[in-house]
Amino acid sequence: MFKLNLKIAWRNLWKNKFYASINITGLAIGLTAFVLLLLYVNYEESYDTWSPELKNVYQVRAFHSYNAPDNKQYWQTSNESRIAALLKQNIPQINAITKVENDWYQNYALTVKNRKSLMIKGIRNADSAFFKVMPHSFLKGNEATALSKPNSIVLKKDLALKLFGNEEIIGKTISIVRWEGDAVTDFTVTGIVSEPNTPQSVNFSGIIHTGEFDKDNQNPTMHRYMEIYARLFNHENLNQINENVKKVYINNLKSTFTDSQYSYAEFLKSGNLPNCKLFPIDEAHQNPPFIASWIEKIKPVSLIVTFLLLISIINFINLATAQSFQRAKEVGVKKVLGSNKGLLVWQFLMETGLQSLFALLICGVLIELFLPAFNQQLGLNISFWSNQKLFFILLQLFGLFLIITLLAGFYPATVLSNYKPAAVLKGSFSNSHKGLVLRNSLIVLQFVISVTLIIAIGTMQKQVSFMNQKDLGFDKSRVINISANYNKKIANDIRKVSGVQYVGATTQVIGNTYAYADKINFQGKKLNLNMVTVTMEAFPALGIKPLQGRLFSSIYRQDTINTVVLNESAAKQLGGVVVGKQFRSYENVFQIIGVIKDYHAESFDKSIIPTIYKVTYLGGMSANGNLLVRFNSSHYQIIIRKIEEVWKKYYPNYPMNYQSLNDAFIHSLEDNSRFMNMIVIFSIISVSLSLSGLFALSTFVAKRRTKEVAVRKVLGASNMQIINLLNKSFLHLVIAANIISWPIAYILIKKWLDGFVYRIDMPVLPFIMATITSVIIAILTVSIQARKAAIGDPVKALKYE
Amino acid sequence: MIELKNIEKYYSSKGIKHYVLRHVTTTIKQGEFVSIMGPSGAGKSTLLNILGMLEEPTYGTYEFMEEDVTRLNERKRIELYRNHIGFVFQAYHLIDEMTVYENIEAPLLYKKVGGAERASRIADLLDRFNMVAKKDLFPNQLSGGQQQLVGIARALAAQPSIILADEPTGNLQSTQAEEIMQLFQKLNKEDGITIIQVTHAEKNAQYGNRILNIADGVIKDDFLVTTT
Repeated sequence: MFKLNLKIAWRNLWKNKFYASINITGLAIGLTAFVLLLLYVNYEESYDTWSPELKNVYQVRAFHSYNAPDNKQYWQTSNESRIAALLKQNIPQINAITKVENDWYQNYALTVKNRKSLMIKGIRNADSAFFKVMPHSFLKGNEATALSKPNSIVLKKDLALKLFGNEEIIGKTISIVRWEGDAVTDFTVTGIVSEPNTPQSVNFSGIIHTGEFDKDNQNPTMHRYMEIYARLFNHENLNQINENVKKVYINNLKSTFTDSQYSYAEFLKSGNLPNCKLFPIDEAHQNPPFIASWIEKIKPVSLIVTFLLLISIINFINLATAQSFQRAKEVGVKKVLGSNKGLLVWQFLMETGLQSLFALLICGVLIELFLPAFNQQLGLNISFWSNQKLFFILLQLFGLFLIITLLAGFYPATVLSNYKPAAVLKGSFSNSHKGLVLRNSLIVLQFVISVTLIIAIGTMQKQVSFMNQKDLGFDKSRVINISANYNKKIANDIRKVSGVQYVGATTQVIGNTYAYADKINFQGKKLNLNMVTVTMEAFPALGIKPLQGRLFSSIYRQDTINTVVLNESAAKQLGGVVVGKQFRSYENVFQIIGVIKDYHAESFDKSIIPTIYKVTYLGGMSANGNLLVRFNSSHYQIIIRKIEEVWKKYYPNYPMNYQSLNDAFIHSLEDNSRFMNMIVIFSIISVSLSLSGLFALSTFVAKRRTKEVAVRKVLGASNMQIINLLNKSFLHLVIAANIISWPIAYILIKKWLDGFVYRIDMPVLPFIMATITSVIIAILTVSIQARKAAIGDPVKALKYE
Repeated sequence: MIELKNIEKYYSSKGIKHYVLRHVTTTIKQGEFVSIMGPSGAGKSTLLNILGMLEEPTYGTYEFMEEDVTRLNERKRIELYRNHIGFVFQAYHLIDEMTVYENIEAPLLYKKVGGAERASRIADLLDRFNMVAKKDLFPNQLSGGQQQLVGIARALAAQPSIILADEPTGNLQSTQAEEIMQLFQKLNKEDGITIIQVTHAEKNAQYGNRILNIADGVIKDDFLVTTT
């Protein structure tokens, strides 16, 4: 029976090649998008799960605002280094605890004797306990002693091969320059670890042990922030442990308030909610501080992908039910031969299953084809066949196959198996209205999705061009940002290069912004404002002009003592006209000399924060990694080469890293443009899927109405009238879909736009355009088939009867 | 074998009952070859459909093999289809996607007849109807008469005790029709299969041994055919 059903299924597919191929291709495309999503989710889910021992590993997270880009409090991963020792002392459940330097995403210069220097990212400094907390398998070297001596380094296998070309390197030396201007330090290789088979939050290409993290700074006022990881003996009673962690953290925090001016009570009063906890490391990746987690980011994508799959399933259902009357006779006959409903449902489900299986196979091929591009787009490293969780993924695919088969096949199968043999076998049977309502509502649903996506593209396009054209408040052309701290001597030498106009430094520039808030007292008003230390030429280098007052200049001696410039937002907070006035911060008095326009230092989803700019180191300074160089000509390459020559004189072991502000700006829009590209691709797919469904369905309807068309033609209908007749039945569906999709699109787009602080008003044009477009393409699609029906010879159609 | 008592069938529309069958009471015994005749719209096919349990009467009782089947659940009905009733249709209604062999095999699969038994029965039927060479052809590759032969072979495959035929020769040329009728007669006489057919043609009715004449839903005549 099974074999026979399979045969019939195959013969039927072959007979309806055209519809079957539309069905299968559509399903394959929908599936491919879905499976890519599935792989992505699996990949992100697999973070920090490479070893069962990781169940006992925790990330120390404290709730504070230090280092946060917007001065708000977050559960941060970068914390005061003293916590580590305190926790180890006071929490008996902790087996080991380690401190590791934040990943600066910075290239370090690594040199192996007699080989070329390489710039390597992900070299991180850790204390000697790192591998006691993080379970890594050592290919070479001894796990217990690898980091016990200062100036040792443990490499990942990839880096070892890259540097040495072989693995027999224990005891060999690597010379490292970490930051420009640093002295060369030699490290001895003490181990090679294999790359874990899942991605890791504490990513590294090599762990160095300089020894400086083994002890905390003796000076209690000096703080160092780094990542801290703890390994527990077992993971029971986490809540209880965390209560103790919080106690230890707060006690330590209290002890740092030695300053009589500002007490712990005041600290609490100003809205701080100090807290600290151990956070399971396998949850760390999905809960990053500052930015949205991957789950948040992927939500819109998964919505669209699900829609895509839905559209292809709808195509399937529509065609299957429309075609069902072809199979009615078979059902009738089988019923009188003794088949029951269950057997028939089973048979039709199997036919759907066969098609889903084909779709799945094609999907497999498509995945293989698209995975590299997908990986590259998102900077991932996902593989399908060599995936660690292949079995699990195959299981998911099988589940997906079942769900799709049921979704696509169940309704048509039920419709079919419900046919009454008496009615079907009489031969006078016609099924024009069976399932029509459902079919029509599914078409409407498809078009609602497509139209909503088209509207979304239109609006996004507008927002993107708005962002591209928005006045940033600074001039992003002809400026490069060298990642280096300001050094007077180098700055002066670079200034001497012809073509260089200004050389300045700031911590607040697009691409690399760092914020630090300080308390100020302005005419009795107490405020928390962002403080940025800049150099004299920072504003001219950014092309910023004063709105009120003046900018810093070396002719005013006072500028190196206590003058500040505010941005507009800060000025507004202080009451508007502020030039010439003074404010206090702690015991220091500052003089406001000018106000500049707000300028963007981050992407458009963040608002510009009220900021005070100062040249003086009074009240502390923020180390800046941005050396801005403005050119007065556009012959970039020559100037940059000359600057590099200057650089080499100062830092022979460390190449110059730079980025133009234009690139930094484009980079800041990258997330968005990536999202937009994806929406565009998905929209095109979804629209073409919907259209192919409509095309197939109209082909079908036209075929079925051949006789009606012939009769009408004999009665004197023109071709145009016939085309209109067929169009009309679909057109009202498309229009209904448009009307439904307007509010949906409005709500979704509003939500998307709300994510931007700087955004356009809701545009009307995309709505109108989407409607016109969808109606036109629907008419075109249907007309292709309608025309065929219309120009057919009526004699043939009638004779057939 | 079949007992109909006071069978009525009507459709109501807008409060008016349209009778298709009225007060049909009759008995059909095992081994009879009954022809139901009458003008178009008289209710012949409806009667046959009720006999075949494809439709339910609005009123009255129907006993099939001493069992009241007027309101039968689907499972019981399917049991009867599998074991006792064979259908033959005017438009043959072979399944287009199946070969001759597979069409004949289908009822045996539903009846869950074992593989060897199945093969031998189909071989018998093919042999008997001279269709061995055509067993791998699809219905659209056969002539109408040949298709109807396959239709009959299929009806016989499950070894039913009764065959219900709705204008079995309606789509055939007269020579082919004659062949089919002779076949029916032979099945009736030699194998003792009860046959009920609906037909327009007096000539076809003559092959049977009893004629029911229906007009306006009522049995007007019920007489035996005198064998010539």
